[in-house]
Amino acid sequence: MGEEPRIGVYVCHCGLNIAGTVNVKEVVEYAKSLPNVVEARDYVFMCSAPGQDIIKEGIKKHNLNRVVVAACSPTMHEHTFRSALAEAGLNPYLLEIANIREQCSWVHSDKEAATAKAKILVRMAVAKVSLLEPLEDIKFKVNKNIMIIGGGVAGLSAARDLAAKGFNVYLIEKKPVIGGNAARLGRLAHTELELKGIDVVKELSKHVVNNPNIHVYVNTELVSVDGSVGDFKIRLIKNPRYVNEKCNLCGECAKVCPVEVPNEYEFGLTKRKAIYLPYKEAYPPLYVIDPESCTRCLECVKVCPTNAINLNQKPEEIELRAGAIMVAAGHEPYEPPIGEFGYGLSNRVITLFQLERMLDVEGPTNGELKINGTQPKNIVFIMCVGSLNTTPNAYPYCSRMCCASTIKNALIIKDKYPEANIYILHKDIRTYGRIDEQLYIKAGEKLIRFARYGEAPNVIVSPNGSINVRFFEETVQEEISIPADLVVLSVGMKPPKDIDKVRTIIKVGCGPEGFLREAHLKLRPVEAATDGVYLAGTVTGPKNITESIESGSAAASKALSLLTKEEVKVEPIVAVVNEEICSGCAICIGMCPYGAIRLKVQENVRVAEVDPALCKSCGTCVAACPSGAMQQYSFKDKQLKNQVAAAFIG
Amino acid sequence: MNKPKIALYWCASCGGCEEAQVDLAEKILDLVNLVDIVFWPVAMDYKLEDVEKLPDGSITASLINGGIRLSEHEYVVKLLRKKSKLVVAYGACSAWGGVPGLANLYSREEILKYVYHEAPTVENPQKIQPQLKIKAEEGATLELPEVFPRLLPLDLVVDVDYYIPGCPPTPDVTWKAIETLLSGNLPAKGSVLGALDKSLCYDCPLNETKPEKVLIKDIKRPHEVIADPSKCLLTQGLMCLGPVTRGGCGALCIKAAMPCTGCFGPLNEVMDYGGKAASYFASIIDYSDEEEIKKVLGKILDPMGIFYRYSLPASRLRGKITVMRR
Repeated sequence: MGEEPRIGVYVCHCGLNIAGTVNVKEVVEYAKSLPNVVEARDYVFMCSAPGQDIIKEGIKKHNLNRVVVAACSPTMHEHTFRSALAEAGLNPYLLEIANIREQCSWVHSDKEAATAKAKILVRMAVAKVSLLEPLEDIKFKVNKNIMIIGGGVAGLSAARDLAAKGFNVYLIEKKPVIGGNAARLGRLAHTELELKGIDVVKELSKHVVNNPNIHVYVNTELVSVDGSVGDFKIRLIKNPRYVNEKCNLCGECAKVCPVEVPNEYEFGLTKRKAIYLPYKEAYPPLYVIDPESCTRCLECVKVCPTNAINLNQKPEEIELRAGAIMVAAGHEPYEPPIGEFGYGLSNRVITLFQLERMLDVEGPTNGELKINGTQPKNIVFIMCVGSLNTTPNAYPYCSRMCCASTIKNALIIKDKYPEANIYILHKDIRTYGRIDEQLYIKAGEKLIRFARYGEAPNVIVSPNGSINVRFFEETVQEEISIPADLVVLSVGMKPPKDIDKVRTIIKVGCGPEGFLREAHLKLRPVEAATDGVYLAGTVTGPKNITESIESGSAAASKALSLLTKEEVKVEPIVAVVNEEICSGCAICIGMCPYGAIRLKVQENVRVAEVDPALCKSCGTCVAACPSGAMQQYSFKDKQLKNQVAAAFIG
Repeated sequence: MNKPKIALYWCASCGGCEEAQVDLAEKILDLVNLVDIVFWPVAMDYKLEDVEKLPDGSITASLINGGIRLSEHEYVVKLLRKKSKLVVAYGACSAWGGVPGLANLYSREEILKYVYHEAPTVENPQKIQPQLKIKAEEGATLELPEVFPRLLPLDLVVDVDYYIPGCPPTPDVTWKAIETLLSGNLPAKGSVLGALDKSLCYDCPLNETKPEKVLIKDIKRPHEVIADPSKCLLTQGLMCLGPVTRGGCGALCIKAAMPCTGCFGPLNEVMDYGGKAASYFASIIDYSDEEEIKKVLGKILDPMGIFYRYSLPASRLRGKITVMRR
């Protein structure tokens, strides 16, 4: 480095957070005795404006070229102090934080020992800072487009908001239709709003359809993503629809189609053909052929009056560039395995979503709740199916929306069929927030009976078709048996199928249950840890429609704070290859979780190369590099070795 | 004109380094033309007294192989240090301890006990064990050098100017190093002579055959597999230490379809060869399930012997902790 280090050490009291346990004055005196330390001072709150001024003055007055701040965790204020260095004209990366709060004062009570430890931490920081190098932020231009994966309510609301700001949105949907799960939901509230799921979808779609800023790609899946924040290079595959824009929705094709399969829009309550319109208000308003079930009999082709059907359509590759990516890939409803709570053993056992379809006037029964032609009198809802570890197949989490949704549907039934006896078997009622708790109160007033179970209730389907639900009621501590005409399973939400594929391509982490992980649950709930990737809707966990739309808008606004920038800055603490040493052994390449390393061949010599824009500074390649050629700025072996050695030798 | 003087000496070594020097073949004659060899116990009849009589600093370079295990080694290398302008650690044992350095996993007492009493090939009913000093029946006092508690690399005993790697260094590396030493154009102190500053992969003809990502699902020992000599051995599951080992050997073992065992030692930026080797190798095991990883790594029957084969005494570990405490 040439230049002799001139180090300033600034020790923070953090009120009494540090000073209550560490003798700060003693640490300051000790710091003064360390090699190359020119100034050491303390202050009650180093992060405050006057505290930062002490550092800035010190840098100018003593011509410091290195700074150690002994204070809280670097996650907290490293950025603050780096800015202070920069304002005083010093390279911000010539700073080292000695964490004497979280790693010292907060975890110790013995003042003498804590003071001794604080001194060692300062000594280590001084040892490391002496070898730090000045670094420059990495900057590059931001592409103004954004890709949103998932055309459900979260994705639609995000697309709407982003397009309204004038940004180009590529909206990718795997299914042949946008709208997602919400499109299949019935009435979203008991009173106030007579809004249905499809109405919300239609309302949001209005802003999306024919919007010049929004490009909708249905039947489209993600193939690969290269590049990084500000400039992702995306490859997609658009699967054939086999029906083109000439389709006039006459429906002749479906009439002649000989194949019948369960209709997913109606949760299998009805059948559809292999060529079908997903639902009445579907966008795009085109029929589609499901290649899984189509037998290629060509009957539809023969009858189509507009020649809109082409069975030879091929998948189409699409390449896009976008500065940001939003994942709003949604969820799937939990589908109980056959036999779980009698599901699949009787048509009197249905899921909550099937019930919603039945209660929808445009649903398969036109809103009539009838099983085998008669109206069920005793209706038993079983909650937490697929959630809260109720059964061995269930997920451990609470699916959040099912309590309110169950009670809402119970009330809708009660309104329509006042004579119905409705029982809701629950583990716990979680009707949180401003509106849903009123549903619970209203349900009590309407004499909907609530009973609490601990062990999963037993749904006994007898050969004659009658059903009994038996369970141990936890409140009255009694075994109860209810003869049921209808059992409704309040199923929860689970991560969407194939989300692993998507998240691997985009490099977003997930939790043990498979939902994608936010960068920080509280502080950054709509961002992924991968820069430039945003998360919206139920892909991060169960949400109701309001919450999904909220998170869509929130993610959109987060994405805007990136897209409105001309260039992005990346912290330069990235891995770097010493080409003098690198032998091109390629070990590092397989290590990098971000695909940031490649081999370049120049004049027949192979060396690894790190793309600083992709590197996330995890250090995995550094640990794996067999030759020591890979080093990470500010964490170079030499710097760490000096720091570690200082822990032992003072 | 006086030719530069060269001394060659061996400490705790197998004699392979001498073999390698002799393997210079007709180049030996070139060497003799260029220098005077003033000490070379394996090949020439100079005695220690001859070295003791030389003026200090009169030897241009002493090439010392083997680790320091005996008091005699210590005496001679300190003498050579005094008499030489340059001291060069020749070969893996001298540089980092080498294979004999693995003895640092045992205490001196354990070793002597095994060697003189317990080894299956030993028959020693009188329980005779060498003594440092003994009065012979004829009245003379016989002495043996002391075995040190552990083996030390040369640079922990005397100041070392340069290193020549290998077990043994190849004739090519040896000659290049000698040329450098005699050129007068000396590199920085502490440099490694005659070899590359990049790992073996740089030199390896199979490097190009690696797939984009070098990840392995299984480990195989050389006798368990007939290796495809045209494909990177590491990707065939053989524990090749080429990536972590200094190049310059010409990939001799690889060309014979044997994986690199690491005799050229670490590169300049690596602090601990064995640690780095274990870290690199553990990194490429291609499982995320802990049990699977354990199963594969469990196949490394002798991790010390694999990763620290040539460098235990010079490593951060040095040896077994009980040895260090004594």
